[in-house]
Amino acid sequence: MSNDTNMPRGWNRRDILRGSAALGAAGLAGLPLIGNAYAQAKTLNFWNFYAPDSEQPKAQQDWWTKMAADWNAKSETKVELDYLVDYMQGNKLSTSFASGQGPDLFLISPGDFLRYYNGGALLDLTPFIDADVQKDFPDAVMGTRKVDGKIYGVPMEVEPMAFYYSVKAFEDAGLNENDVPKTWDELLELGKKLTTADRYGLLFQTDAGYYQNFTWYPFMWQGGGEFQGADGKSAFNSPATVAALKLWKDAIDSGAAPRQVNAGGFDMVANLGAGYCAIQNCGIWGIAAMKQNAPDTPFGMFKLPIPTGGKYVTVGGGWAFVANAKGKDPDTAGKFIAWALASKEQDSVQRVVDWCTVAKSDMPPRQSAIEAGKAAYGQGELKFFADEVYPGARGEPRLPPEAYKIISDAIQAAQLGGIEPEKAAEDASKQLDAFLATYKGAPML
Amino acid sequence: MPASHASISTAAATSDPPIAARRAGLTNRQREVLAGYLFIAPDFIGLFVFVGIPMVLALTMGFFDVNGFGQFNFVGLANYQKMLGDTVFWQCLRVTLLYMVLLVPSLYVSGLGLALLVQRSNRFNTVMRSIFFAPQMVSLVVIGLVWQLLSADKVGVLSRGLAALGITGVSLLGSPGFALYTTLLVTVWFLMGFYMLIFIGGLQDIPREYYEAAEIDGAGRVQSFWHITLPLLRPTSFFVLLISLVASVAGSQAFDLIYVMTKGGPANSTSVLIFYVYQQAFQYSAFGYAAAMASIVVVILMLATAVLFLMTRGGRFNYE
Repeated sequence: MSNDTNMPRGWNRRDILRGSAALGAAGLAGLPLIGNAYAQAKTLNFWNFYAPDSEQPKAQQDWWTKMAADWNAKSETKVELDYLVDYMQGNKLSTSFASGQGPDLFLISPGDFLRYYNGGALLDLTPFIDADVQKDFPDAVMGTRKVDGKIYGVPMEVEPMAFYYSVKAFEDAGLNENDVPKTWDELLELGKKLTTADRYGLLFQTDAGYYQNFTWYPFMWQGGGEFQGADGKSAFNSPATVAALKLWKDAIDSGAAPRQVNAGGFDMVANLGAGYCAIQNCGIWGIAAMKQNAPDTPFGMFKLPIPTGGKYVTVGGGWAFVANAKGKDPDTAGKFIAWALASKEQDSVQRVVDWCTVAKSDMPPRQSAIEAGKAAYGQGELKFFADEVYPGARGEPRLPPEAYKIISDAIQAAQLGGIEPEKAAEDASKQLDAFLATYKGAPML
Repeated sequence: MPASHASISTAAATSDPPIAARRAGLTNRQREVLAGYLFIAPDFIGLFVFVGIPMVLALTMGFFDVNGFGQFNFVGLANYQKMLGDTVFWQCLRVTLLYMVLLVPSLYVSGLGLALLVQRSNRFNTVMRSIFFAPQMVSLVVIGLVWQLLSADKVGVLSRGLAALGITGVSLLGSPGFALYTTLLVTVWFLMGFYMLIFIGGLQDIPREYYEAAEIDGAGRVQSFWHITLPLLRPTSFFVLLISLVASVAGSQAFDLIYVMTKGGPANSTSVLIFYVYQQAFQYSAFGYAAAMASIVVVILMLATAVLFLMTRGGRFNYE
């Protein structure tokens, strides 16, 4: 006799086991149906950090949703936008590729380009872009998205770095626009002067990552430093590199710069806008960010100061549309990217102009878009960037993760870890040499 | 019917398997055993499929160069050799061991201390227990963000409090000398209520008569604690030490708070090994190297658990 006193009346263990088996079988039987439905869908998924329903300004979300809607209105294969939280630091994108389920379209910065290119994830977009349009993208912009002359990403923007300052902080200190620093020494002095009990004078990015490297490179370049020499070996251990590391370290050690930033060094509103600092190292996108989210905070700008004997250089980053070479429909994904950002049609050019001048504040990656947006770049803050900052811009370097991490650790060690810049540069250079000796991917630029 | 026949048929009716079982050729004992296995089968299959197989695959992956895009190349022990020369790995190992050595005793002492304070059931203690346990109700991410704001340089409440005491220039999360201890304190604050509950359960299992007998014999509170409470809490202590050990080396507490509050910085000073594994796998797509490091995490956990077992005899009582 079985002991089923705890069972509902009329049930026994065998009934439960049979029921469970039946449910399991039904579930398994349904899986292929779900798979079929997924496979049959004529939709390309575009992973991004703007839309739909993101925390980004409405104008940027609108630009993305309009772009998708315009494409979907004319194309049988639809594009669906998928907003990813924590796009840069999160793991969803890399996990999706690791499991063979990468999105059809996604965004990539030069800092992460080689990881995806070397992994074979990027589609060659060259066949989809008219030869004349290819020439419309300057090499300085497109170079880091090309391998062996083939295009693997189409940039949507160029984002050069500069400094922003709080007009109120300047006025409170008896300063005006004529007091902006021209040299590193002046920058540090000004930072100290503007530091108060509840505000830092000067802010550099402190969180380790691609973005911190990106913002630090121009200081290395200004003194003639490079991470790799013409012989393919590390050039990181140089006076210019040490000087750049020392600048950031001195800013921290003097108390003028914070060891922590709010939300991220790229966030103008959470730092300069919130009064956390008086001067912030940030990119061109800061203009739109401040106007859209902190319209009552007046700000000024100045280009990166230079070291003694150095020359002005800034870095021009920016994100690019890329297609998954192993996506559901790479051919259509390539056509979409060309249509969106790199076609001869006026609406393609205007889309770039709208992104760079209306939705955001950026420099266009296409010469024709600069021409078309001449009115916007002829006045105000954008004119300052177009005339003063952008001419000195150099493309954001592309490095594989191993090399980027070595440089990142050197910056962190000197800036925050109490390590002398000379030692940080020397250690990093040795590690870079060891890595470069075994590296087999596409060239680092 | 003769009486002897009646007794034989009754015995047969009680010992024979039912018709269905006879049809299957199983005895009652075999049927019970089979049913037992069938009932634990879902759990076993789940653990095997979702924990066992991934563990074996992960350990195997440590011998491959896996780039995260479908390429697998057998590299033997190369990932382990790479670890030897990876200064960040050794730094993360040091941070992990320090974190473990500090966190486990801190959780034990704070959890037991709170439990002793609020073990008696009355209205005030019930409220206090709820307050101590309250952080558990909130997402770790939210906890991390709130403490990050509180600890912000110059403008955070904690920084302002320190400044009011004349202590300036201290960056609670931005200085390598403070960041790990700040995250550690937040972790203890977050978890101590949970461990308090476990200890309260253990304390309530100790018969009151022991304390009364000790009191009659002239034992004070401290003596009662050392000679009654602590020895009889041995199984609870073992459990608490074990799960806090796992939490400190590979738990979500070790990862989530660090990810949110410091992202392993500044200068890798809060980068515990499990965080570096995450970075290698998901930010650098070095899945093979990450898997090799994960196997080191497993070894650390096994060694620490073995030491714990030896020190506490697996939580068994000492009957001598």
